Amino acid sequence: MKFFTPFRKKSPWVLHYNAGSCNGCDIEILAALGPKFDLERFGVINTGNPKQSDIFLVTGPVTYRSRERLVELYSQIPEPKVVVAVGSCTATGGVFRGMYNVEDGIDRYIPVDVYVPGCASSPQLIIDALVKGLEVLEAKSKEIEKPYKLFGAIETIANKLSRLNMATKVGQNEKD
Amino acid sequence: MKKTIQIPLGSQHISLLEPIRFKFECENEKIIGVDADVGFVHRGVELACTRSFEFKQVGYVVARVCGLCAITHSLSYTLAVEKLLGYVANDRIKYLRMLMVELDRIHSHMLCLAHTAENAGFEALFMQIMGDRELIMDVQEAISGNRVQFDYISIGGVNRDLTPELVALTHKNLGLLSEKIDALIGLFDNNWSLSLKYKGVGVLSLEEAYTYNALGPLARAAGLATDVRAETSDFPYEALGYTMILESTGDIHARNFVRLREIVNSIAMCRNIIENLPIGEIQEKAKGKPNGEAVVRVEAPRGELFYLVRGSGQNMLDRVRIKTPTFSAIPAMMEVFKGAEYADAPAILASFDPCMSCTAK
Amino acid sequence: MKKIETTLSTLLRDIGAFYIPKLWHFLSVNGIDLGEGKIELQWIFSAYGVKDEIVIYYVLSDYNTPVPSLVSLIPSAIMGEREIVDMFGLTVDGAESGLYLDEDSRTHPLRGES
Repeated sequence: MKFFTPFRKKSPWVLHYNAGSCNGCDIEILAALGPKFDLERFGVINTGNPKQSDIFLVTGPVTYRSRERLVELYSQIPEPKVVVAVGSCTATGGVFRGMYNVEDGIDRYIPVDVYVPGCASSPQLIIDALVKGLEVLEAKSKEIEKPYKLFGAIETIANKLSRLNMATKVGQNEKD
Repeated sequence: MKKTIQIPLGSQHISLLEPIRFKFECENEKIIGVDADVGFVHRGVELACTRSFEFKQVGYVVARVCGLCAITHSLSYTLAVEKLLGYVANDRIKYLRMLMVELDRIHSHMLCLAHTAENAGFEALFMQIMGDRELIMDVQEAISGNRVQFDYISIGGVNRDLTPELVALTHKNLGLLSEKIDALIGLFDNNWSLSLKYKGVGVLSLEEAYTYNALGPLARAAGLATDVRAETSDFPYEALGYTMILESTGDIHARNFVRLREIVNSIAMCRNIIENLPIGEIQEKAKGKPNGEAVVRVEAPRGELFYLVRGSGQNMLDRVRIKTPTFSAIPAMMEVFKGAEYADAPAILASFDPCMSCTAK
Repeated sequence: MKKIETTLSTLLRDIGAFYIPKLWHFLSVNGIDLGEGKIELQWIFSAYGVKDEIVIYYVLSDYNTPVPSLVSLIPSAIMGEREIVDMFGLTVDGAESGLYLDEDSRTHPLRGES
């Protein structure tokens, strides 16, 4: 874990999924990875594999048929993960809002960390979103590395960690 | 024991920009049967055009059917409504519309070439073509205000005018691009390893092209002389130096070459347009409500785009039928896959330049 | 644009006599809901290399009558036929549902209320 942390800090790998977008944001993501904007100089690589990805770039309002794939892909990305919603229609449904086969934005299905506006989002905005996503990713990584208790809250008595209720037997504290 | 194996491709795959799922029935490495699921991005634009939006708004809605050929979608719809309103645009509007459509064709073809190169294993060529493509994106952004999804065309005209600075920028970038395309033509023609990946792979014969109603670059690569630009009289294409590009072999190499030579032709046409731009208003009043039925065909980068609009004199239209190029090319595409090697499938698929958001609407 | 009316029973014969693959490009099948359970079905063709030549065969029908399939004449008609099966809930022999919607979808978006 410690070995990989510095690499992941600046070089997230992204997974791109089109959940019903018009292709506009998708080609802008390609352009952002291309030579002019060149996200790859930071080590951002578009992987096709959810299990190697840190950032999930989603475009499009979720269509009825792509919703299962979206949730499936999201659940296959290992923690910590960041979801970036690229484009207006990904955030709210945009121009497609209310159409019969559209689910009005991806936050109905998966939690979103960064929203990118624009129809279509420009490559500059996508780069900004990934930089923002890196901050979220770092915060999430720190959160994961904190020790936490399985049962009950951590209590302190006189600034010292209390071990009285650290662990309980099964059924010990159950009221009924 | 079963003789064939089934290999799925998609719906999420590194070589795919958009979700499409193929089920290849393979015998050893040979593909003998294909099944495709193309409905992943179906949103229901056709219904929304008649229920949720008024006819003046629909032009901007149908542009969101596809981001790559958005301008051809809004152009076809606008032409259809203008036919119903009995309005004929002046020459300046026609020229400006043609200019944007041809610029769109150049960048779309370049994206397809880049994608084909990437799927054949040439990451560096992909990057090179994507870099060259930015020249056109810059022109588009300067003229229309947005890189993609520029809502440039509206009923009765276009939304922005061409200033002398823009003409100079367009000339400069087209000149730069023209040299790069010449270099690319040499590369695609002579590079030995590219020819291994492209020549004789994914062949569509002329007979098959007729039988399966192939269209666009797919048909022209097989030698089928069809191009909506030559089959409609809405725009003065011939006067501006349009020539039909035909190849005969029908493989990936031929499709790449049709695209490369069409880029050269489009660059020449763009130059002619901005040099001979007539004087006139860019926005005129088109009065009335659409009444009756009109059909319009426009050559999108992938082939023929067809719109049927029917209205009954009200703000809401009765029917907007969108027939997109990839939608009708799918039977021909399935035919090309049969008999090909499985390892070539991503490159063959990219060479069709499929647009699923067009297909599923 | 030329519009020719025909009927569902004579459709295959008419189009069989008309359609020559080297002259005509088959565009699409189209349906237009006319309200009150009626539908207009269109088969659209364009000519290769001729300016502005479009021929539309159309049939006035209702939702319950099965539509004959043109796949034996025009293999690429399968896409358009699958689409009208999904969008209008028509029956076309040989065309499966499930192109855009679920295979067992009960709603057909472009079908008018009847």
